[in-house]
Amino acid sequence: MLQKLRPAISIALLGAAITFMFGAWSVAAVCLIVGAIVGLNAGQHSTQRAASDIGREAIQPGLVASFIVVLGGVLYQFVLQPITGNPISSTLFLKIGENSPALDSITALVISAMAGLIMGPLTAYFTASTYGYPEKQRRTRLLIALGGFLLLFPFYEQITIMNWMAALISVQIYILLALGLNIVVGYAGLLDLGYAAFFAIGAYTTGLLSSGQLNIHWNFWLIIWIAAAVAAIAGLALGTPTLPLRGDYLAIVTLGFGEIVPVVFRNLIQVTLREPFTGLCFLGCDPAVEKRMATCFYACTGPLNLTSGERGINPLGRPVIPFTDPSLFGANYLPWYFLVLVLIVFSIFLIGRMRDSRLGRAWMAIREDELAASQMGIDPVKTKLMAFAMGATFSGFGGAFYGAYISGIFPSVFDFSVSVIILCMVILGGLGNMTGVIVGGILIIGTDKLFLPRIAELLKAFMNTSVLPNVSNLALKDFLSTSVDPLQMRQAIFGIVLVTMMLVRPEGLIPSAERKAELHAAEAEPIEEAEAETGA
Amino acid sequence: MNRVQRIVLVACGIYLLLFFGPIAGFDISRIVREIAAKPELLLQQLLIGLANGAIVAIIALGYTLVYGIVELVNFAHGDAYMLGTFMALTIVGQFGVHAKSSLGAKTIAILVAFVGATVFIALLNVSIERIAYRPLRNSSRLAALISAIGVSFILQNVGLFWGGLRAFFPIMGVNGAAPKAFPDLIGRVDLFKDILHVSVPIVFTTKDLLVIVVAGGLMIGLRLFVQYTKLGKAMRATSENRDAAKIMGIDVDRVIAFTFLLGGGLAGAAGLLVGLYNGTAVFTMGFTAGLRAFTSAVLGGIGNITGAMLGGLLIGVLAAFSDQYFSSRWTNAWVFAILVLVLVFRPTGLLGESTGQKA
Repeated sequence: MLQKLRPAISIALLGAAITFMFGAWSVAAVCLIVGAIVGLNAGQHSTQRAASDIGREAIQPGLVASFIVVLGGVLYQFVLQPITGNPISSTLFLKIGENSPALDSITALVISAMAGLIMGPLTAYFTASTYGYPEKQRRTRLLIALGGFLLLFPFYEQITIMNWMAALISVQIYILLALGLNIVVGYAGLLDLGYAAFFAIGAYTTGLLSSGQLNIHWNFWLIIWIAAAVAAIAGLALGTPTLPLRGDYLAIVTLGFGEIVPVVFRNLIQVTLREPFTGLCFLGCDPAVEKRMATCFYACTGPLNLTSGERGINPLGRPVIPFTDPSLFGANYLPWYFLVLVLIVFSIFLIGRMRDSRLGRAWMAIREDELAASQMGIDPVKTKLMAFAMGATFSGFGGAFYGAYISGIFPSVFDFSVSVIILCMVILGGLGNMTGVIVGGILIIGTDKLFLPRIAELLKAFMNTSVLPNVSNLALKDFLSTSVDPLQMRQAIFGIVLVTMMLVRPEGLIPSAERKAELHAAEAEPIEEAEAETGA
Repeated sequence: MNRVQRIVLVACGIYLLLFFGPIAGFDISRIVREIAAKPELLLQQLLIGLANGAIVAIIALGYTLVYGIVELVNFAHGDAYMLGTFMALTIVGQFGVHAKSSLGAKTIAILVAFVGATVFIALLNVSIERIAYRPLRNSSRLAALISAIGVSFILQNVGLFWGGLRAFFPIMGVNGAAPKAFPDLIGRVDLFKDILHVSVPIVFTTKDLLVIVVAGGLMIGLRLFVQYTKLGKAMRATSENRDAAKIMGIDVDRVIAFTFLLGGGLAGAAGLLVGLYNGTAVFTMGFTAGLRAFTSAVLGGIGNITGAMLGGLLIGVLAAFSDQYFSSRWTNAWVFAILVLVLVFRPTGLLGESTGQKA
């Protein structure tokens, strides 16, 4: 019995960790998600045939999981809140108990928990029962359910004031980027450590074309394509010279590229272009005369400030949908959420088609064995270039959206750690698998933008109310108040994820079948592998 | 590609460099004018570049040793060097010495810091190899590289954490992320003016001398060690062919661990030197210095010890030159541009042999 419930319990514990941190209103949402995952898992392992039978089997684990999740919320309310001295953060939006926030908060928890306890088993039933249908119908049903959730969740979030939206949009932007990187690293097997450069190029293209910097204010719907195209051209420009390189050398060249691009954007503050030879005079030539002599191409009246350096470009123009309120895209998160959601769906569709096309199969062939692939008539040069260009295209989309969303572009956003975080997502989720990459993105960026700040906040409150007043040692007190800060640990978390994944599960959490076979070949056939190594 | 095509390509490259270069400070006529106006400055920059390059070269040795033996770009090496500076800073801070302490106290503090930083980073490097690299030795090279990047991130975070320990080490200052002041223990005595009493327009201080002497000593020592000792011979054999070395009775695991030990020790020494020379320590310094050092190692021909020294000195001089004559803001871009160009056009570097598969 317990054996059967084990996957449900482990997923539910993860969910309970979330509700333990966020309390009341998150309970219902987390129950729903946990129920869906439990149902999928139960359906996969079910021995029944009929849809309703499979579904019925999933109800029990779904209920158990929901209970655990609800328990997390209860613990938050009655254990974590008092010891952190945090008054009430999740109240009832109806404000019934205007005079008693505690009562209000508990009412919110009760409503949310009841909804969760009903919805958890129900979604488990639904997702599990899809396994009784043929593959195609199953997928359609799941997609409709997922789509419904993604469409409705932001409204739920807005009504209950959970404050998750900013983090969710970050997650989406990074997913968009990771989907692009997945083409380069996952499909074509080219390790790209400078992917943030294309993100920067997309963002700066948007910035220059829709701000007061050069006084150009083009329409966002046009710019997003231009940004993607410019990023793709940059991808080609990077790809062309690096094609002969393999493996780690390619990685280092892309890393160098990724380092140069932000430096360039940071320093393009005094730009003048002159034809070099017409004005070239070495000694004894008056600089003023020399300048006059040289044929000027760009920014002739005075050096042009292209990117404003460290101060960045802002504000940027906002997207406007014709025939609607022009201030639709503003401080409100909802339109942005749906815009980036559309971009992601569009990208998934496009990448999926690309992956199954001739080009996509060529990428994978190149990844598996370049020599064999080229013997089969695949042009490695063209294929790799396309991988770079296509990967860059999606980060161009991401950059354009990011620029418009933040309404400001700063060079410090595009440093090496961003490239590594995106790589981390791809590797954690599973190289070459879009579902895996999306899951990896949710886990990594969700942790980074949602949970770490929350843990830091809770820990700080906990320290201030329950620990620090009881510590008398001054040095220890100072240490506890300054150094115990989870936000400072974020880089280490990414590092640990990378190392652990490489050591324990290099194929990622949700690997693609080919990748799994490839990475575990060494364990299955050690002798052949050794032979291949010495042969090479 | 035939010869004409190649010449056309190079000409196009040079033209583009002249056309776009001035944006990044590469303005030939201005540079020539500046050099003509103050030629002694060129020599001064050369000296600064050599001193900085010597430190870069020591770090580059760590990259080149490791790459030569396991073909891994040990991405975490730069951050290990950063931790070396932090260790030295902590020890110096605990001794409580400062610029005005007595010579004996300063010497003892420096010696203890040298031993402490070297041993600590050497052991750290060995443990990193044991935990994060050894299990991946037989999987793909990219797996090991990604693992190394992960370790680099972890070490950088350790540096940030360490820098925030003001409660235990007051020398770390108030803010964990801010650059820390390294006590000025060597002093700035000008060799020409104050000791030799000759009047020359350039400044060559005891600091420069110390760095160049120590770095030179370490490099020569390493060269001799690898060339003449039994362990050095085992290292060379392992880098030549691991399987054959194993058959000849060399304990390959031990040799590799020793290589990491050696590289880590050099990084620790470089950490102390840079602290004494530049007077600051910050947790992000390892990344940039590491990339510079890696560039030097590649420039000189990765896997080649002499090449790494040469590359380090060249990169140091180039960076100093760029700081003075191009624009210090663009220096990093120039260094990385060289890295990219060398990797693309001559992946074997200046002194490297043809590596076939490696490139």
